Amino acid sequence: MPRIRFNGITKTYGDHEVIKTFSADVPDNEFLVLLGPSGCGKSTMLRMIAGLTDITAGELEFDGTVVNGTEPKERDIAFVFQSYALYPHLTVRANIAFPLLMSRFKPYHHLPVVNTLMRRRVLRDPDVDAQVRRVAAMMELTDYLDRRPRTLSGGQRQRVAVGRALIREPSMYLLDEPLSNLDAILRSQMRAEISDLHHRVGKSFVYVTHDQVEAMTMGTRIIVLNEGVIQQYGTPKEIYDSPANTFVARFIGSPPMNLIRCRLDGRSLRFPDGVTLKLPEGCASPSAPDRDVLLGVRAEKISVAPSDAVASDTMPAHIIVSEYLGAETVVAFKLGRRADQTEQDTVAKHDLQQARIPGELHLTPGADFTVRLDLTNVSFFDVDSGERLPVAVPEATR
Amino acid sequence: MKERVDVTDVGTPTRTTPRALGTTPRGQRGRRLAPYLFIAAAAVYLLLLTGAPLLDGLWLSLTDTQLLNPTEGAFIGIHNYSSLFADAEFAHALVVTIVYSTATVLGSLTVGTVAAVAMNGAFRGRVLARAILTFPWAVPSVAAVLIFSWIYNKDSGVLNQALSSVGLAQHGWLVDPTWSLFAVTLASVWKVFPFVMLVVLAALQAVPEELYEAARVDGADAFNRFRTVALPFLLPTLRVTALLMTIWSFRRFEIIWLLTQGGPVGSTNSLVISVYREAFVNSELGRSAAMGVVGLVLSTIVTVIFFYVDRGAARKEAL
Repeated sequence: MPRIRFNGITKTYGDHEVIKTFSADVPDNEFLVLLGPSGCGKSTMLRMIAGLTDITAGELEFDGTVVNGTEPKERDIAFVFQSYALYPHLTVRANIAFPLLMSRFKPYHHLPVVNTLMRRRVLRDPDVDAQVRRVAAMMELTDYLDRRPRTLSGGQRQRVAVGRALIREPSMYLLDEPLSNLDAILRSQMRAEISDLHHRVGKSFVYVTHDQVEAMTMGTRIIVLNEGVIQQYGTPKEIYDSPANTFVARFIGSPPMNLIRCRLDGRSLRFPDGVTLKLPEGCASPSAPDRDVLLGVRAEKISVAPSDAVASDTMPAHIIVSEYLGAETVVAFKLGRRADQTEQDTVAKHDLQQARIPGELHLTPGADFTVRLDLTNVSFFDVDSGERLPVAVPEATR
Repeated sequence: MKERVDVTDVGTPTRTTPRALGTTPRGQRGRRLAPYLFIAAAAVYLLLLTGAPLLDGLWLSLTDTQLLNPTEGAFIGIHNYSSLFADAEFAHALVVTIVYSTATVLGSLTVGTVAAVAMNGAFRGRVLARAILTFPWAVPSVAAVLIFSWIYNKDSGVLNQALSSVGLAQHGWLVDPTWSLFAVTLASVWKVFPFVMLVVLAALQAVPEELYEAARVDGADAFNRFRTVALPFLLPTLRVTALLMTIWSFRRFEIIWLLTQGGPVGSTNSLVISVYREAFVNSELGRSAAMGVVGLVLSTIVTVIFFYVDRGAARKEAL
C-alpha cells in the first residue's frame, strides 16, 4: 500500500508539454481522483504511474523508492482500462485468472505444447479456481465464468475488468475512466460498487475521470488538472467549498459556481447595476479594500423571491430558463431587471447565473424576480488571474 | 400493409393508381430475375473463362490427345488416371509437391509473421525497413531466380563462399538432389514471405493497443503478449493466408523451372513441372490434363479442410 509521491513530474511529446511539473504527495489507502477536462493530461499521469508511459523529467516514488524505470508488472499495480481491455478470446474465468497464470509462468512454459498444458493446468488448479470464484462472487459474475466478453453487457464487462484487477491483490488500483461507457443508471450503481470495493480491500486507488460527480462521490482526495497543470489538490469538501481558482470553481459543482463581478469596498459589495450588499458579521473577506473581485457563490446559496419582495439583501434579476429536475429546480437567470437589458444582453451566456432551489418552482422565462445571496461562505477571486483571494475575518467583526 | 410503388410503372401517364411491386405477373417475374441479372455478367465471365476450360480439361484428361494432333484425341476412359497412379514418377512428383508446399507455406508464414511483428513495433527507419522487406514480392520472379542462381552457384556463389569462410562444407545447392528441394524452397520463401508479412501486419494493426498494455500490467512477457493478445487476432488471417499460400505453392512453376527444371534426377519435380513436361516435352496432352485434374483435386481437398477448420474455429469463437 504505497505512499505515492510525484516529484516535479513532467511529460513532453516532442515540443508539446502534456504534464507541467506535477508535484503531490498522496498518503496510503487514499481514493485519489485525477479530475479534469479531456486532454488535460490525467490519463497520461495515470499511465506514468502504471509504467505504461515514460516520465520525461521528475521522479515518481512509491514508499520513497523511485520507480521511474520499473516495468508495470514490477510495480504491484492493477489497471482498469476505459475500454476494459478484456482478452476477447478468453472466457471470463480465463480473463480473471490471467494475472495468476502469468505469476506462475516459467521460461520453459514458452514451449508450444507445454504452454497449452500449463495454461490448462493453472485454470484447473483448485487454488486458482477458488480465487477466481471468490472474485467472481464479489463481482456477481459467478454465472458468467464460462462466457466470453463479447456476450456480456457493458456493466458485466466492467466488473470482469475490475475482477481481473482484484485477483492479484495488488497494492494499488489504477482506473482510467472505467464508467464512461456505461449508461447513467449503471454508472451510478458502479460508482457505489467501486467505492464499496475501496473500503473492503483497503488499498490505494487512483481514479481518472472527467466527471466531477464521480470525483466528488468516490474520491477521498482529488487532484484537479487543466492543461497539464495541477489546479488544486485536496479533499472533495475543500475543493468544493474553497476552489483555488475560477477554473476549479466552474469545473466542480453542477451547476457550477456563479462568478459575479463586483467591487469590494470594505465590507460592502457593489454590483454593476448599482445594488450594494453588505457582508454579514463574521464573514471572511479579502483584506485589501476597494478592489474589483469575482464573487463566487454556489447555486444552492441563492434563493429566489417575487420581484416585489425587495429588501436590503436582495438583488433584482430576470429568468432566462427554469429546469425542473424532480427534487429541485435549477433556475438560470441574469442579474438586473429585464427592462434594463438590451436584446443582445439577454441572450449572452457569459454572465448567466444559476440557482438551485429545492422542490418544484414555477417561473416564467423573462419574468423579473429577486434573488438573495447567502454571503456567509462565499469565495473571492482575482479578476485578472482568476486565483482565489486569501480571506480573513476582520478584527472588528469577530 | 404498406403499399409499394411498382417501379416499372413510374412515368406511365395512363396509370393513376400506384400498384404494389410484384403484385402483377410481370412484377413478380422481374423480382425473381433481378438478382440473377445482377450477377449475370460475372457468371458469364466465369463460365467462359473458367468453367469452359475446366470442363475441356476434364474431357481432355479422358482422351489420348497428343500435342502434335490436338483435335484427334480419342476417348479412353480413366486410362490416363490408372496409368498415373501406377507410375512411381508421378507418385514422387506428388510427394515433392506436398513437401515443397508444406515447407514453403510453413516457412513463409513463420518468416512473414516474425517480420510483421518486427515491423509493427515503433523504431526509427520503420518505413524504409518495411519497403525493403516488401522488395522480394515486387521483384519479377525471373530476376529473383537469376539472383538465386548466382547465390547457389557451386563454384562462385556467395552462399558457398560464406559457408567456407566460417569453416562449413560447400554444397552443390542446385545440382545435388539432397539439397536442391531445400534450395528451391528457400528461394520460394524469400519470394513470397512479404505477402504474408503485409497481410499479417495489417491484421496486427487492428489489435487494440490497450490489450498489450493490459497484458503488460498483468505480468505477461513479450512472447505471452504475442500468444495471448496478438495470435488470436491473427489466426483467422493466418488461416486464409495459409490456404492461399498452399494453393499458390501447388501451382508454382516459374521459380522451380527456372532454377532446376525439376531436377536433378527429379528431386524438385513437382506436379506442375510434370504437367508441363508431359504436355510440352512428351506431347501427351491427355495424360498432362489428368495430372492437372489431380492437382485440382488436391487444391480442393485443401480448401475443404480449410473451410472445416475455419468453421470449427468460428463456432468456438461464438461460444
